[in-house]
Amino acid sequence: MNVIEIENLTFSYPGASAPTLKKLNLTVEAGDFLAIVGNNGCGKSTLCKAMNGLIPNFITGTYSGRVLAKGLDTCGTDVGSLAARVGYVYQDFENQIVRPTVLDDASYACMNYAMKDYLERGKAALEKCGLAGREKDYIWQLSGGQTHLLALAGAVSLEPDVLILDEPIAQLDPGHADRIYEILKDLNENYGKTIIVIEHHTEYIADYCKHVVLLKEGTVAWKLPTREALCRVKDLTASDIFPPQVTRAAYELKKNGVLPMSGELPVTVSEGRKIFGGLSCHRAEDGKAACESVRSWETPPAAVEFKDVSLAYRSVKGGPNQIFDRLNLTVRKGEKIALIGSNGAGKSTLMKMMTGLLRPSQGEIEIFGEKIQSVKRDKLFRRISLVYQNPEEMFIKDTIESDIAYAMEVRNIKQWKERTGQLLEQFRLTGLKDRDGRLLSGGQMRRASLAIGIALNPEILLLDEPTANLDIATRREIIRTLEDMKDVTDTVMIATHDMQLVCEWAQRIIVLCGGKVIGDGTRNEIFGNEQIRERTGIRPPEIFSMGQELCPQAYCYTIDEFVQTFGGDFNGRVHKEAIG
Amino acid sequence: MAGFTKKLSDNLFDKFSMDFLRSQVLKNAYGNDDTVIARLDPRILIVWYLFFGLVPWFANDLIFLLFSFMIVVVTTVLARVAGLVLFLFLLGVFSQTGYLFVATLIFGGNGTAIAPLLVLTLKVATVSLASITVFSGLDPDRLSNGLMWFKCPERLSFSISYAYRMLPMLMEEFQSVLLSYRMRGNPPDSGTFLGKIRYLIYQIKVIIHAFYPLMLNTAKRSRTTVEALEIKGYRYAAVNKDVKKLKLASLKVTYDDMIFLIISFLMICISLFISSMV
Repeated sequence: MNVIEIENLTFSYPGASAPTLKKLNLTVEAGDFLAIVGNNGCGKSTLCKAMNGLIPNFITGTYSGRVLAKGLDTCGTDVGSLAARVGYVYQDFENQIVRPTVLDDASYACMNYAMKDYLERGKAALEKCGLAGREKDYIWQLSGGQTHLLALAGAVSLEPDVLILDEPIAQLDPGHADRIYEILKDLNENYGKTIIVIEHHTEYIADYCKHVVLLKEGTVAWKLPTREALCRVKDLTASDIFPPQVTRAAYELKKNGVLPMSGELPVTVSEGRKIFGGLSCHRAEDGKAACESVRSWETPPAAVEFKDVSLAYRSVKGGPNQIFDRLNLTVRKGEKIALIGSNGAGKSTLMKMMTGLLRPSQGEIEIFGEKIQSVKRDKLFRRISLVYQNPEEMFIKDTIESDIAYAMEVRNIKQWKERTGQLLEQFRLTGLKDRDGRLLSGGQMRRASLAIGIALNPEILLLDEPTANLDIATRREIIRTLEDMKDVTDTVMIATHDMQLVCEWAQRIIVLCGGKVIGDGTRNEIFGNEQIRERTGIRPPEIFSMGQELCPQAYCYTIDEFVQTFGGDFNGRVHKEAIG
Repeated sequence: MAGFTKKLSDNLFDKFSMDFLRSQVLKNAYGNDDTVIARLDPRILIVWYLFFGLVPWFANDLIFLLFSFMIVVVTTVLARVAGLVLFLFLLGVFSQTGYLFVATLIFGGNGTAIAPLLVLTLKVATVSLASITVFSGLDPDRLSNGLMWFKCPERLSFSISYAYRMLPMLMEEFQSVLLSYRMRGNPPDSGTFLGKIRYLIYQIKVIIHAFYPLMLNTAKRSRTTVEALEIKGYRYAAVNKDVKKLKLASLKVTYDDMIFLIISFLMICISLFISSMV
């Protein structure tokens, strides 16, 4: 039975020159776990809003075609009746929560539709979404992951047959992300819900989804079972979607002739074990040695030093909330550091302390040997700069040009106009310079915030989650920009959940857990350490785990490294043949 | 000495950070839902407030006013009102009438001038404390339910609880925008006296400028909220009588409410009795 049937759907937003959805046809069967993928602006969110009737009932535009949700035509059915059939969780889910306490919010929709047992329904929904026991909590006591679960519970409470989630794990650490997907799986398998996710993380698609739909320019390119879909490496990469790393590695090895052309591609690590099993590991040892040698013998001077720093937040109820207890940490000049740890481990707080925006309740922070309180603010912010997680909060002027220029202008820095021009050019923003930062796309916004952050040429640059909430293509672009910036900025620290970024970029990794540094070293030392991995729930990139599965001495962090390490056979042969 | 004043001003600055304000607002709204006052039925409290918020304006009897004042002081203590609110209350009362009182004393006024001023101060203080008890002792949801029972429009009561839900988020956002200004701005040197004044003016300017990005960011967020409210049936509920009944079903008058009313009533009777004896 089909829960969603879409026939010839065409929709354009008012004022848009071209339709967002073009003659789209799609059917979704009951009990499916479907992933919708596609590049930015291909109409994924629009499609989902058409399924729950917000389009055309609430968001108007030019609409033709037909959408049936459980046999009910969405056109002409009110949003309320549809909400009981199709639930929706937004990407910016925290704005979806309208009530102050957990149970209140979960049961709010049921109460509004005058269901007498609204509290029971709310409780049942919380139970299903793993929030049992948190009913009386206030929403700001929840972590990011729990807030997402609450948004989900709000949708589940109406007992819809279909649940749509727009990029459910974009802002979460791997531990929380797993939890969300486990709950979705449970809803799918044990409660018979049809789940539709918009998702960029193909590793999760491989583990959880049953079918994949590729959207291209407002229409369905194909709908296939997950395995088959993820093996279409060419189609996916053309749409800026990157199949799981093991799949891509196998694809490369096939191209090189190391794996037979006719063989299947793996989509998960366990499948990879079978397919890569026959390969031998070639350059494991020297790969490891090369990584270690990055560490120089001489110790450069300290840039920032934390000496016995403690910090507590005021909390609404009860005693203060201790974030750091006697933290000691030294950041040296010229280091490229990644700061990792789960949501709420204190990464942002640590960065705010480095800029003097938060003061420790105990202990000292020294910056270039001077106590941070005694450094004049103006001088301090010329040496250290922080780029927020949420770029919108960096835009204080009405165009990005004046935003970038602001710090230089008010300091009467000579040639600030020229430098602004240069920065706009460097971050490819010249064409957008008169736009308000808030109206840019995610990647453009992020680039603009980086340009603002380095305008004063700081010696220390702090970046809070520079790749969060970005699709893979934009993320790559930002990683490239960071790579380019390596020569310009001296000391850089990035707080992130993005382990691919960590592996490709960082020289030193600091792991925070419960306000303490529990790991500090190179990527081999961190990812090779089982204990740290277990304690914090951090997870190395899939390709690293794959390498380790095949050969415990293999430390490969990128697909290229993997292909070189395990495809050496072929390369060696070619080499010999060429010489011979 | 200079060190001491620096420390003091640092300390004050620390206290009045946005973070502090945010935690105080939250504390005030939701931090004290386990007090005697918070457990009272909102309708009873609203009736109680109608008396203590209105009658003192029209009364001139000093003993009655003193007793009323004492009652609201007790209820304010019971409601465990946040420190900041009390501070603002004191500041407010002083700026209304208290300074006149001090000025009279300094310029050689005698007791005759004090009595009418005292009466006025008492009136303002009583009414303010009664308002503080009701509006910050009750959690916003219960308050809005109470108002709804008295046939206040649904939209008003929703606005109250939604505003409280949004407030911490808004303040956090405002804090971040201000931090942006602090990081990138170039405040005037506050070493000299003139510099301090310039610094103050600069700060005020920054706060005003910060509203522009704050409003735009909020507008951007509210797009999702509006759609979510539509899905959650907010518009449907606003016109449905059954929903209102459901919401109000949680209100119940208990013995505690009666005791609270009776004690207040008795105290007022005693004050009137004493005042008629004098």
